[in-house]
Amino acid sequence: MTTLQGRGVVAGQGAGPALVTQMPINFTAAFSKPHNILPWWRSRISDHHHDLFKKIIKGTVLVFPACIGSTFTGMVLMQVMHDKAAPAAMIVQDADSLLVSGSVLAEVWFKSGVPIVEYKSDDLFDKVHTGARVKVNGETGEIKVY
Amino acid sequence: MKLEPEQESILRGDSGKAMALAMKTLVEYGKAFGAQRLVPIKSAHLAGTFAAISYKAYYKVLDQFVGEGATVKVPTTLNPRPGQDLNLLNRVTFSKQKYVDDAMKALGVTLNYSCVCYERDNVPALGDRLAWAESSAVQFANSALGARTNRNSILIDLCSAVTGLTPEFGYLLDEHRRGEILIKLKITKMDPSALGFLIGRKVVTRVPVIEHYDFSRIDLKNMGGAMAAAGGVALFHVEGLTPEAPDMKTAFGGEPKETITITQEDLDSLRYKQPDLANLVVFGCPQMTYEEVMELGEKFTGKQIKKPTWFCLAPEAKARFEQTELYRKVREAGVEVYSHCPLAALTVRIGHKLVLSPSGKLYYYLEGCEYGNPEDCLKACGVM
Repeated sequence: MTTLQGRGVVAGQGAGPALVTQMPINFTAAFSKPHNILPWWRSRISDHHHDLFKKIIKGTVLVFPACIGSTFTGMVLMQVMHDKAAPAAMIVQDADSLLVSGSVLAEVWFKSGVPIVEYKSDDLFDKVHTGARVKVNGETGEIKVY
Repeated sequence: MKLEPEQESILRGDSGKAMALAMKTLVEYGKAFGAQRLVPIKSAHLAGTFAAISYKAYYKVLDQFVGEGATVKVPTTLNPRPGQDLNLLNRVTFSKQKYVDDAMKALGVTLNYSCVCYERDNVPALGDRLAWAESSAVQFANSALGARTNRNSILIDLCSAVTGLTPEFGYLLDEHRRGEILIKLKITKMDPSALGFLIGRKVVTRVPVIEHYDFSRIDLKNMGGAMAAAGGVALFHVEGLTPEAPDMKTAFGGEPKETITITQEDLDSLRYKQPDLANLVVFGCPQMTYEEVMELGEKFTGKQIKKPTWFCLAPEAKARFEQTELYRKVREAGVEVYSHCPLAALTVRIGHKLVLSPSGKLYYYLEGCEYGNPEDCLKACGVM
């Protein structure tokens, strides 16, 4: 097991298999296609520009560098969290205002926000690989990789 | 975070439950970024105007605000509508449009329906603190006008509008407005939208400073829109052009962390190789301004288009354009002139209708959209 110390951005605990990408994610482009309305495809990444195209992120610990794009993002993430289709937790190198909004809105209005930890260093991608079991503490910023 | 007594009172619920949750949202949002206080804003701009049936959680929140009779505390404008009347499929998909329109009216929002609100409806001044959503408008307000706003999400924008407050962090503060990446240009034929797309992809969320080029206001709009789609850029500077970059030294407040060169080949790499295959050519994402349509429209006078062509304009620009002789000529050429958001309207189109657009933003978001520079698009329309 490896422990990484990040910064807790949004509180809560989450665990699951890691889903890792080194490409920034545009969550609006990812989850706003017509077929995303289907419950089983709610959190299927449908951005054809992205590495994770067609991957379903529900229940994973999503590991990625940054959140880009539209200001729909907070609302889109809130909806995915509200629908219980969200990742168990998110680890991001650069926690921006839109990503954080998604979790904050879901938590404040629907008690369904997911934890976010910011971990800046690039060794993130050496230490966490897709499929590894990961536990995230959004309060302390601690990341455990099994 | 330190709150004023009046803010504490709203947070406790003295102004209603929705207002308390709005205040809590802003506090939690600010805390994540180490904000010390909430500061007053001059205006808000809201992006939550597409009444897609899938955004149920959003309606639940809107219902709470409207139910409690909340109203906006600062001038607040609104993004475009989604083309809800275009055809049957759009009518079904956006069947809740009237509900959203009515909610916005009840909240006291200006129903301008424009993503280029800074043209006429909501014009910020240098240094104004704002709480805007709409990534392209955030970008323009910060970069071209020197106003100060973070990239605020839908609903964060509304929480700010009803309280008149935003947490003080990020692009509101001097230290986050300085340039980080120097962009050098090796370009023979400028295409601002493609340049914005490439810069967005390379700098992601950092602040780029582009070496001097005499971009027009329209160029800055289209470049910024693309930058904020392919990247998360909320602020860029252009040496000797934008208000916070009189020279490189001021723009960076020191030295750049990195230099990136963008070449003509880079720009050309985005262009679709067979523009003639397009079924539809779309101009105006972000929506066209009046100046923009008056310039573009000239290319269509006395011509007949070869394939369906849309101009999407801000409503106030469309109203002015309709008064001109050029409008008649553009319509005679066969162009459809709309004021809805082309992205929302076309997202639900049936089949694999291939769209060609000189918008880096539309190209990023719309499945089945290819990029053409302005010349490629005019050729595909058959007017060049």
